Amino acid sequence: MYPDKHKEIVTSLMEGKFITVEDLSYETINKNEDFYITFFEKSFGFELIGNLDFYYLVSNETNENTSRDISIFFSVLCYELDKDGKNFLEELNYSEFHIDEIIEYFKNSSWTDVIKANKQLNNDENLKRHIGTMVKRNIAVKQGNDRYSFTKAHKLFIDFAKDLIKDEKSETKV
Amino acid sequence: MIKSEPKSILQFMASHYDLLRELFDIQVKNDIITKESLIICLENYDKDIQEQLTEYQILVEQNDDFAFNEPYFVLFEFIHQKFKPLLPEEIEHFGQAIRTLFLKIKEGINDDKNILLERIEALSNQIKKFTNAVVNNTKSLLTESKELKANNKKIDYQEKIHKARYLIENYISPLNTILDVNHSQSIYNELLNVSQFTNVKRFDYADESIRREFEKLYHLLRQVAKDLNLQSVTLTNELLPLIERIKTESQYLRGFHYYLTNGNCYKEIEPPRIFVSTRDNIYNKFVYENTKEYFDQFQHEEDIIVVEDSEQTNDWLFDKSKYKETLNQNLPIDDFFKWCEHSIKEENEDFSFDNFFMVTSLLFEEDYEVSVSKVGKSVSISNENSELIMPKLTIKKQEDVSR
Repeated sequence: MYPDKHKEIVTSLMEGKFITVEDLSYETINKNEDFYITFFEKSFGFELIGNLDFYYLVSNETNENTSRDISIFFSVLCYELDKDGKNFLEELNYSEFHIDEIIEYFKNSSWTDVIKANKQLNNDENLKRHIGTMVKRNIAVKQGNDRYSFTKAHKLFIDFAKDLIKDEKSETKV
Repeated sequence: MIKSEPKSILQFMASHYDLLRELFDIQVKNDIITKESLIICLENYDKDIQEQLTEYQILVEQNDDFAFNEPYFVLFEFIHQKFKPLLPEEIEHFGQAIRTLFLKIKEGINDDKNILLERIEALSNQIKKFTNAVVNNTKSLLTESKELKANNKKIDYQEKIHKARYLIENYISPLNTILDVNHSQSIYNELLNVSQFTNVKRFDYADESIRREFEKLYHLLRQVAKDLNLQSVTLTNELLPLIERIKTESQYLRGFHYYLTNGNCYKEIEPPRIFVSTRDNIYNKFVYENTKEYFDQFQHEEDIIVVEDSEQTNDWLFDKSKYKETLNQNLPIDDFFKWCEHSIKEENEDFSFDNFFMVTSLLFEEDYEVSVSKVGKSVSISNENSELIMPKLTIKKQEDVSR
């Protein structure tokens, strides 16, 4: 009656996790998308949002602070990667980062005011814990030896920033 | 006129290469070598060769300053493969010369043989110059774009976008047009026309020497077509995607910049909605993060200010000692609850049962002995809202009992 991995899917999504195209259960939701949309809507009143990269749940409540911290984290990291001559889109998709490397980018960032004002990002320990929060939500994956990679869920937060100026007349159009 | 032997000049250049290279870099950067920078450079290398530099015409004077003589500058550009990109207008200049010469050749095909030969030779030269210009331009634009992408100079993204836009608008797009086979006015198409014409004339022209010139021109054009095609491929496969990537990244970077600037991220911009997980077990491996996240929700909340209600309320306070004293004075009392009612009514006619029960708490003081009255079983206590039916209790002092 229920698709395979049903329990895993429901548990993960209800814990606020993203299920990304890298996960085996992504395919199950994808194949049964209509079922899961209805299932979460009728059972809990939650909305299942999905695209080619990931699925996640939203409800009337949102954890605005965590979401803001994650958005700021990616904005600063991408900005610094670019300054370092790296292609941040490729780096986020395919590279692993040592925790010290990430800490270093935040230490040398020019966005000091924004970082200082953020209790999750303003020092090494908090930054580590913040990455722990992202692991919990399956936005980052711990690869061992203090190395982390990012799942496709990171796109939600960087596309959000990109879309902030989508409607502006592009006087700086390249 | 240069008096020195060519070999001496080349040897001189080899001996003082490092100095010349530095002067070359100065000119690339500033378009000129000022007198001061020449003197500093000579001092740095501890060389007194200013006289030879002008004698061999490596440097020429420009007012009080200096510049590389054109042939040397081109030589240095070539051996370092470091070309200043030509503006499309400069390249178009070759295109114009090619078009004019080709027109003259077609119109004067039966004119004087010598002028026809010279025009064919001039056309070949212009085609070679044009091809070199395009090859060098593609190379230098690719180098510049790669440097921009790698951001070796660690420039800010706005400057990077500005430079990328500048390269695209002024160099890359026009170069693309020049090489565009689908663009009827492109120089590349003009060269194809020249090639077709030459291909016919190398066989059917009456004069053999002219046929031979057309033959040479035709082979040159075949080579040029290959070279230009290669440049076009480089442009399409490398340069344009590179610029496209800079462009895509810049859209993201503009977003990040806007989000982070002036603390915008802490103001009105709402981040993406994410789920608030509701249930947590103590053995959940993320219990720490979950708990932290839960409490973090309230961190940025605005301070709650409690405004005192300005309307005065008549809060009744139970003055136990006062009531006890009165009670003691009236002991023994046959009907305790009625006494409570009377006492409280003396103070406040509109009493509540909460107030009433506070007074009745005296019943539990250790000083008294309480018993149920034998006369009359219950009493009624009432206020505006309701009525209480209470037992009739007699109350005495403990000591009275002992006595």
